[in-house]
Amino acid sequence: MKRQLSDEDAAFRQRMREFFTTQVPEDIRTRWAAGAEEGMDDLIRRSQQLLNANGLAVPGWPKEWGGQDWSTLQRQIWHEEMQAASVPPPLAFNANMVGPVIAAFGSEEQKQRFLPATANLDIWWCQGFSEPDAGSDLASLRTTAVREGDEYVVNGQKTWTTLGQYADWIFALVRTDPKAPKKQMGISFLLIDMLTPGITVRPIQLIDGGHEVNEVFFENVRVPADQLVGEENKGWDYAKFLLGNERVGVAPVGSIKRKLADAKTYAASIATPTGTLLDDPLLAARIAELETEVMALDLTVLRVAANSKDGKPDPASSILKLRGSQLQQDVLELIVDIAGPMGLQWAAGDELPGWATHSTPTYLNFRKASIYGGSNEVQRQIISGGILGLKG
Amino acid sequence: MDFTIDDEQRALRDAVRDMASRFAPPEERDKVPTGPRAHDAKAWTALAEMGLLGLPFAEDAGGMDATAVEVVLAAAELGKARVQTAYGEALVAASLLAAAGDQKALLEKVIDGSALVLPAFAEPMRAWAPHDPSVTASGGSLSGVKAPVPIAEVDAVLVTACEGDQTGVYLVDSPQVSDGALKLDGTAATKLNVSADDLDAALNLGIVALAGEALGAMDAALAMTVDYLKTRKQFGVPLMTFQTLTQRAADMYVSVELARSTVLYGAMTLAERPSDNATASRVKVLTGRTGRHVGQEAIQLHGGIGMTAEYAVGHYTTRLTAIEHTFGDTRYHLGQLARDVSDHAEVDVFA
Ligand SMILES: Cc1cc2nc3c(=O)[nH]c(=O)nc-3n(C[C@H](O)[C@H](O)[C@H](O)COP(=O)(O)OP(=O)(O)OC[C@H]3O[C@@H](n4cnc5c(N)ncnc54)[C@H](O)[C@@H]3O)c2cc1C
Repeated sequence: MKRQLSDEDAAFRQRMREFFTTQVPEDIRTRWAAGAEEGMDDLIRRSQQLLNANGLAVPGWPKEWGGQDWSTLQRQIWHEEMQAASVPPPLAFNANMVGPVIAAFGSEEQKQRFLPATANLDIWWCQGFSEPDAGSDLASLRTTAVREGDEYVVNGQKTWTTLGQYADWIFALVRTDPKAPKKQMGISFLLIDMLTPGITVRPIQLIDGGHEVNEVFFENVRVPADQLVGEENKGWDYAKFLLGNERVGVAPVGSIKRKLADAKTYAASIATPTGTLLDDPLLAARIAELETEVMALDLTVLRVAANSKDGKPDPASSILKLRGSQLQQDVLELIVDIAGPMGLQWAAGDELPGWATHSTPTYLNFRKASIYGGSNEVQRQIISGGILGLKG
Repeated sequence: MDFTIDDEQRALRDAVRDMASRFAPPEERDKVPTGPRAHDAKAWTALAEMGLLGLPFAEDAGGMDATAVEVVLAAAELGKARVQTAYGEALVAASLLAAAGDQKALLEKVIDGSALVLPAFAEPMRAWAPHDPSVTASGGSLSGVKAPVPIAEVDAVLVTACEGDQTGVYLVDSPQVSDGALKLDGTAATKLNVSADDLDAALNLGIVALAGEALGAMDAALAMTVDYLKTRKQFGVPLMTFQTLTQRAADMYVSVELARSTVLYGAMTLAERPSDNATASRVKVLTGRTGRHVGQEAIQLHGGIGMTAEYAVGHYTTRLTAIEHTFGDTRYHLGQLARDVSDHAEVDVFA
């Protein structure tokens, strides 16, 4: 056991910090920190392309496709420093999901065709897994793909497709064998160009008024068979790999810590009859509590990351997803309370700062964090079943 | 103590329920408003016509001579139906106008819905502190900023301001509200002849009205959640097969029942002692916490659908969040109660 970073890791951390705070343009970082929805696709694109040009977009990938020989701890440091500096992270659908799947299971031709463009966000991917009746029970998905010659014909509907309005391509789980003995066995992993005739994207508005998710409809969409990843009917294995392969970034510790620091600044700017909100014992106690909880998560991320067996899904990531989403939500809740009556207004003005008027919609929006990517109930089940052996 | 409602109260509740159903917001896709609700003049007129704006005020001022209990019963129906208005705020203003004694003409107009008068007490970059405004008054004119003002299309607002070390309540006619803020720069105002107790009593009425609305919202959010657990299927079975979900619904139910007792008790108590601040604070703390619990769980147990604008459950959560931050949030009221814990050995609900 050793508390400090090694000299090498400390130098690495310094290098990351320097890059993120000096090489990523200020306007990208401040607009990202402010949570701008307008033009956020552009911010993500600019950020990822800059990171990619510097070998920092897809460090977890195999080296020949742009990855880095970093330890898991170093990737963790990379991620935390990136979040601490409010740098828009590489698009998860590209960097953490479809990229690693193509790298692991795709054909050589697919790797060449897709990986460089995916790392550089020349292709914007969206994730077509969930369907109206296949949420937590993903394996019951019904979108079908029927082989006709050298094409698949896709019919059905995906939903909750995040940022699908910007996407060039979608990676979708489709049913290729409706007669398979287990429903997990008849699923395939298809790459589909969003411009293919027969695809319709329809926005879904969320309770904060924003538009980040969509429904995607497929009507006789003809997909070249060479866009199947790996083997037909093995899609479930690839999906499991995709959902479990990444532990770095599962808990957004860097961004939680930054938000909590922001919260203190906000609290210090709110006057009370005797001082500021930061002096209020009830509020200060809540911040102290959160700092302690976040520290415990920060340490657990480091401890778990250090022990990771690369590439293998590990139920320990469920601890990070569960606690990470909870603390992220707790900090946003704290900021709503700091904004107080100002949070009743959702539009900023010269008297009402943006952080305060955005606080309520942001808080409401992030209720999603305990639902997507495997809900907290599902994470608890993975922990109780996969770690504790409690399989009812 | 008796929590049963009488025939007259039941008739009021049923009438409000019927009216509210006509003004519930659409659940049609792409048509659902999100965020703070804009003023709905038609709904407001309906509230006025039913006498809701004058419920707890004297008949000779156009009121109904009822009490905070009736206010809570009516507000709960509005909350259930998601008719989100400035009802609680308007009652605060009306209560102050009534206390002033010499504002009868305006009070009548407020009650009959022909004038919209609301409090503008909150101030930007300042925590809720109704007795310590930063706006100053001097010789009948006001300076400073109030924000956010609940609705821009008000005919008049009531503003708290300091004159020396005295906090007073002032009436500002035809205020210019822009971007949610009212900037006062030597603005002419009429000082109301009201005491600090009157201000507390008015706010307490607003608190209990909003608590009633919150109760209705929680009832509805719970009912929707229970219904969803029965009908939504995953893994080939209804969600209610999973005990982890049904037990959480049970916890929500427990929370709501405790809130119901507290809100109804608060209404009865404030009907007798309008400036019983401790009771109002307890109501506020309990409904604040419960609203958060129920609002968050209602979304979580629905999964993704709970996050969408076209589905009602998230709107209840939005409204519960707003209610919690109106007239002092949980932290503020807990602070008030914490300050006074040594004043009493225990809380005697019959006292
Ligand atoms: C904002 C947002 C963005 C998303 N982005 C994407 C995306 O880009 N691509 C994509 O494919 N999907 C996406 N999703 C979908 C997300 O993965 C699903 O919402 C999630 O899997 C839950 O499914 P559901 O919404 O159908 O809820 P349900 O599965 O119906 O769950 C409802 C409730 O029941 C609980 N539950 C379900 N089964 C069990 C069980 N066995 N035991 C205990 N509790 C259970 C859930 O935890 C939840 O509380 C997104 C969702 C949201 C909200």
